Amino acid sequence: MYKNKLTLKIIFFLISTDILETFTQYCFKKSAIPQSDVFIKSFSDVLIFIKPFIGSGFLWLGLLSTLIAFIIWSSILSKIDLSIAVPIASSSYVLVPLVSIFLLGEEMTWLDWTGIFLIITGVIIVSSSTEKEKIIIP
Amino acid sequence: MSHYPTIFFILFLIILTSLFDTINQLFLKTSINSLNLNIKSIKDVISFISKLILIPKVWMGFTFCVMSLFCWLFILSKADLNYAFSADSMHYIFIALGSRIFLKEKVGFKRWVGTIFIIVGIILITLSNY
Repeated sequence: MYKNKLTLKIIFFLISTDILETFTQYCFKKSAIPQSDVFIKSFSDVLIFIKPFIGSGFLWLGLLSTLIAFIIWSSILSKIDLSIAVPIASSSYVLVPLVSIFLLGEEMTWLDWTGIFLIITGVIIVSSSTEKEKIIIP
Repeated sequence: MSHYPTIFFILFLIILTSLFDTINQLFLKTSINSLNLNIKSIKDVISFISKLILIPKVWMGFTFCVMSLFCWLFILSKADLNYAFSADSMHYIFIALGSRIFLKEKVGFKRWVGTIFIIVGIILITLSNY
C-alpha cells in the first residue's frame, strides 16, 4: 500500500474544498451586506452587529459549507503531505478566471494567461514530486 | 510621508495572517499524523473526525485560524484587495518551510520549483487585475 500517493480522487477533493471555501466567503459576504452601515466603536456595537447575523440563512449555510470543507480537508491531509496539499489547492486561482471566461464571457489579458500557465505548471511539478517519496507499508 | 507607517503596519498584519494560518495547518496536520488512520469509507471519515476533534492541538489551531480571520478582515477594511492578496503568495513559503521544519516532510528541489511557479503565477494574476 502506498502512502503519500497523489491520486485523481484526492485532486478532485482538493478542488472541491476550494469551491466550498469560495462558497463560504460568498455566503458570509451576503449575510454581511445588510450590516454595511453599522460602525463598530465599542463592544456593545459588536453585539448589535452580530445579532441580525444569527437569523440570516446565509450565515448558517456558510458555516455548514465550512464544516464540510474542514472534514474533506482533514481527510485529504491524512493521506498526503501538507507541503503538497496546500500548493495544489491553489487551483482555485485557475478555476475562477476560467469560469469567468467561459460562463461570464469576461476578457483575459496576456498577464492572466501567463499566470494561469505558471500555476498549472507549478501544480504539475509539485504533484510529480510525490513519486520519489512513496513509502511502502507492508 | 505620514502613510508610510500604515503600509508597513498592513504588511506586518499580512505576514501575521499567513503565519497564523500556517500554524493552524501545522497543528491540524500533526494531530492527523498522530491518529495514523487509513480512510477508505464514509464510516471511516466519521470515526476519524470524531477522534480528531477530541485532540486539544486541533482546537489550538482553530484559535489561530480565528485570529488570522480577524487580522484578514481588519486588513480588508484598510487596504486594497489586490494589495492584500500578496498575503496568499507568502503563505506558500511559510507552509513549505513549516512542513520541512516541524513535520519533517521532504520538501525537495522539485517541490520548491513548483511552489515558486505557483507563487509567480498568483502574483501575475493579481497584477493584471490592477
